[in-house]
Amino acid sequence: MAERIIPGPGARSAARLAGSALRAAILVAISAVFVFPFLWMLTTSFKTLGETIVFPPRLLPESWKPENYELAWKNGRFPTYLFNSVFISLSILACQLVVVVPAAYAFACRAFAGKKLLFGLVLCGLMIPGQATFLPIYLLFSELGLIDTYAALIAPMAASSFGIFLIAQSFRQVPLEIIEAARLDKAGTFKLIARILMPMAKPALITFALFSFIAHWNDYFWTLSMTTSDAIRTLPIGVAMLKNVENVKSWHVIMAGNMILVAPILAIYLLASKYIKTAFTYSGVK
Amino acid sequence: MGMRTEAMRRRRTTRLSIAAIAALAAALALAGCGNRAKDTQSDSSGAAIPKGATVIDFWYAIGGRNGEGVVKLVDEFNASQSKVHVKATYQGDYYAHATKLQAALVAKNQPDVVMLEIAQVGQFGYSKALADLGKYMTKDEIGKFQEGLLKNSYIDGKFVAAPFNRSTPILYVNKTMLKEAGLDPAGPKDWNELRTYAKKLSNKEKGVYGFEVPIDIWFFEAGVFQKNGKILSEDGKKFVFAEEGGAEIVRLWQQMIREGGMKVPPGQDYNAWDVAASDLITQKVAMMMISTASLSGLIAQAEGKFELGTAFLPAGEIFATPTGGANLAVLEKSDAKSKQAAAAFIKFLASKDKAAFFSEWTGYMPVTTEAVQAESIQALYSKHPQYKTALDQLQYAQTRPMIKGYREMTVKIQEELKKAMYDLSISPEEAARNAQAAAQAVLDSIE
Repeated sequence: MAERIIPGPGARSAARLAGSALRAAILVAISAVFVFPFLWMLTTSFKTLGETIVFPPRLLPESWKPENYELAWKNGRFPTYLFNSVFISLSILACQLVVVVPAAYAFACRAFAGKKLLFGLVLCGLMIPGQATFLPIYLLFSELGLIDTYAALIAPMAASSFGIFLIAQSFRQVPLEIIEAARLDKAGTFKLIARILMPMAKPALITFALFSFIAHWNDYFWTLSMTTSDAIRTLPIGVAMLKNVENVKSWHVIMAGNMILVAPILAIYLLASKYIKTAFTYSGVK
Repeated sequence: MGMRTEAMRRRRTTRLSIAAIAALAAALALAGCGNRAKDTQSDSSGAAIPKGATVIDFWYAIGGRNGEGVVKLVDEFNASQSKVHVKATYQGDYYAHATKLQAALVAKNQPDVVMLEIAQVGQFGYSKALADLGKYMTKDEIGKFQEGLLKNSYIDGKFVAAPFNRSTPILYVNKTMLKEAGLDPAGPKDWNELRTYAKKLSNKEKGVYGFEVPIDIWFFEAGVFQKNGKILSEDGKKFVFAEEGGAEIVRLWQQMIREGGMKVPPGQDYNAWDVAASDLITQKVAMMMISTASLSGLIAQAEGKFELGTAFLPAGEIFATPTGGANLAVLEKSDAKSKQAAAAFIKFLASKDKAAFFSEWTGYMPVTTEAVQAESIQALYSKHPQYKTALDQLQYAQTRPMIKGYREMTVKIQEELKKAMYDLSISPEEAARNAQAAAQAVLDSIE
């Protein structure tokens, strides 16, 4: 007597359960790859020097040492560096938005002579690495007497090819009907950008803002090159100064410095993640 | 009605925020241009500058605890007199610092005093960027420096670089492990002993190696010198190491790797050094070579775990070592008054107490013979005789190549050497010839 096996609702939900468990396991494994280095950095920042190089390595310190943060903070001028990091990254972002959004509008929504050529030039800016343009810009700022000023750290970054490209692309995706409808309602250019295009390009704007902020927050090379005094330097240089060249490195203090460096970015990301998700699911025409 | 007010409110906020961004940007542009960090009343550390003092810029390239030692000395100098004021700023590691200096020289906003890794002295010296310090220091004052540390100080017979934070590579040994293996805890004396020691100290099951050395130009130069060879021809135009000991040191390393006695630390530049240092502390390796500048940190870490010893680099045909660390140089473009002031600062750093203080603080060698005699240094040597090894080894110091672009050439040499460490089928002769050809190609492209 062969029994016919009919998959009942129980069996189906068991299969579904196994499926979602597997999916969860894979997700946990992938996120562990990303989270673990940060976790290691966090716990190392509370260890003693001996514990940082013990073999076999241990994740957690025997006793937590918050004084590592004090050591890092007192080495050099961390309050100044922190202020400069915030000030410079935000200033760059503000300047970029002022330049990038109107430029993206012009390229995406207006017809004018030489548009293709100019857009090509913008794309060239995207393709030429910073190392190639560094020296001419350095010499230019030196001639202007602006080395070692905030201007040297902000002005060269005030436009972004990447931003113009990304935002122009998303402006292009706004349906023409919507733009025409707005024009029929006598919306001016400014209103059109601010009220119609920008809200609809929210994902691109937020992505660009985060990319820009993180890139300039982390920037080491440009800041180090353009500055010669501590008063206008930023956190990444402060962290690099914690390294003891040729001697045993104080990994616990370096990691405490790194935590100070990445904590604001992690916080911004956590706060913004809700908006990023809604921004990414936003679309113009349903 | 409600809809309408909501829309108006939103419109107003949008307009407001855009206006705010524009205003902020405009304000920044103005503030940025006006806000020069260089002001004349106080320097970047907030210290007051005495009226009428000659202000000189000093760029340094060592961070962490060693960098703190530099800052302490600068503060002391500024407090000790009112004619010269030194503004010291960290400019990244040796290589970032040198790159910045190159850019600054082109842009004519260079500082007055710089810290040059000794192989960089040639790069800037032969481009006539460095001032002749002999004009501002007497023969006696220059003669106070240890002779072994002056090998990378002269360009065309002119004294252009004063020793400051100086080191040699040394052999660090875990004496406890050597004793347990029935070996002389003083360490191996020559290459043959190094090989037998390494083999005996290795333990494959436990993952312990006898010996570890970063595949770095410093240790390769040491190997060539120990075979009585030269890296460069006398005129500095041809690399000659392949036939002069270059193949021999590669052969020794390959033999030791084959026998399971030697570990090659992974990573570039100082990262490989860090691996070697932590392997010694965690007793994964019994002997390793890095700079004497790591001594203070290693002594502290080894305490309570094992007995740490130091020894000369084992001899090939002869004992030999390159030296390392950095020299201080004054730039030719500075005016005469600044040069004079810079020389006064350098003399202050080289005075007996200050040189002794810096050596004790960091683990670098005392740069003058009188500083070696200082009470604090003698007390240090009797407490930790390991500090004396580098000093005694100085009698075997040899000159490192001093040519333009040497850093780029060493990168090429290191690449070829590393290949031969991971692929043992490459013969030592072939590896040395390849390294020499790669370095020569860079040299020819510069000439």
